[in-house]
Amino acid sequence: MPTEVTVDKPLDATAELAMKFGRLSMEVGASAHYVEEIVGHVAFGLGADRMDLRVGYTSLIMTLGKGEEEVTRVVRVGPLGVNQRFRRELGVLAVRIRRGEFSIIESRQNLQDLLEASVRYPDWFVAISVGIACAAFGRLLDVDSKAVGPIFFSAAFAHMVRRQLALRNINLFISSILVGFCGSVLSGLGAQWVQSQTVARDMVATVLLLVPGVPAFNAELDILDGRPTLGSARTIYVFVTVLAMAIAVWLALGVLREGR
Amino acid sequence: MDVLHLCADSAYGAIAAAGFAVLFNVGLRALPLCAASGAMALAIRDIALESGWRMEAASFTAALVVGLVLQLMPPRLPVSRNDLHVVGCIPMVPGGFATKAVLALFALTAENLTGIDGTLAVAIQNGLRITFTMCAIGVGLSIPALLSRQQVS
Repeated sequence: MPTEVTVDKPLDATAELAMKFGRLSMEVGASAHYVEEIVGHVAFGLGADRMDLRVGYTSLIMTLGKGEEEVTRVVRVGPLGVNQRFRRELGVLAVRIRRGEFSIIESRQNLQDLLEASVRYPDWFVAISVGIACAAFGRLLDVDSKAVGPIFFSAAFAHMVRRQLALRNINLFISSILVGFCGSVLSGLGAQWVQSQTVARDMVATVLLLVPGVPAFNAELDILDGRPTLGSARTIYVFVTVLAMAIAVWLALGVLREGR
Repeated sequence: MDVLHLCADSAYGAIAAAGFAVLFNVGLRALPLCAASGAMALAIRDIALESGWRMEAASFTAALVVGLVLQLMPPRLPVSRNDLHVVGCIPMVPGGFATKAVLALFALTAENLTGIDGTLAVAIQNGLRITFTMCAIGVGLSIPALLSRQQVS
């Protein structure tokens, strides 16, 4: 958990706050271009006149300058997730800072308020939504109508398991295997019980909640945007996650003796 | 053209997009827009497929058209246009190819395997198709975003 550091020089304080905006936007699923934009808004809005920023997968490095003064900062980026509502609010605040609406102290306070007021949907609501989404996805994969119920319940259950593992800081890839395995076994058992003709496909549809869609698209966007290093790192993350999903389904298929 | 199939796919696309939007913590007011984006993407892709296009080309076109339409919308939406675009394209992720590729790969490891050539071909063909389709969607997603940046700068 990063601690708040009191700094004497205004440029130091600006750099610190701008990097905090950058770190948070990375952690909620922004592409490198967007991170650069947000950090730029904060830095220039608070008086800097030049900025060099390197956006890495696990860290941000920035040199900020104003007149003859210059500071360089490095900040570590935590696990990358997706929270589009917070990312949007962060962007709106950054634009207001750019317009000169806030001093540095007010900007820091506003960010703190934003962090404290940040809302997420209740877990039960997300679980139901994920269940419905996976069932709809399953229909797009041509699963039979009997399988919709088992996919819905097992995907919702799998999401709850994923949430619990995330709260306990379990490694993301281990978590993906566990969640995928629980979800697909449950779905397979349910599908066998309702005599679905597409059991293997039903099991795959259930683990689609694990597909890292936003990181995959960010990876492509970063590569096309001229940032191949970050894009490649994201691609590897996507690949390993899909591999974890495949291992989970493979284990589940073996347990249920399906897909042979 | 099978209109019923088109409507059903669009409806499933809308539901899947809205469901995943909740997972991504998109605001409640923006969920109908996410659903509309998903439905439009699936409808365009299905129409292109019905016209005899390949999945890769159909997915690229759908992602591109949805992106261009979203760029024409007013900026004061309850969700950013890029987020709407990504969420709308999520239901186009070709899970069917991935399923077939993974199942064929697993089948290759079975003992006493018969028809190894056919199984290997299914695994490679579907693996390549999901790769190309994902790349096509990604490029279709990126072009409107890159163009809008160009316009701003």
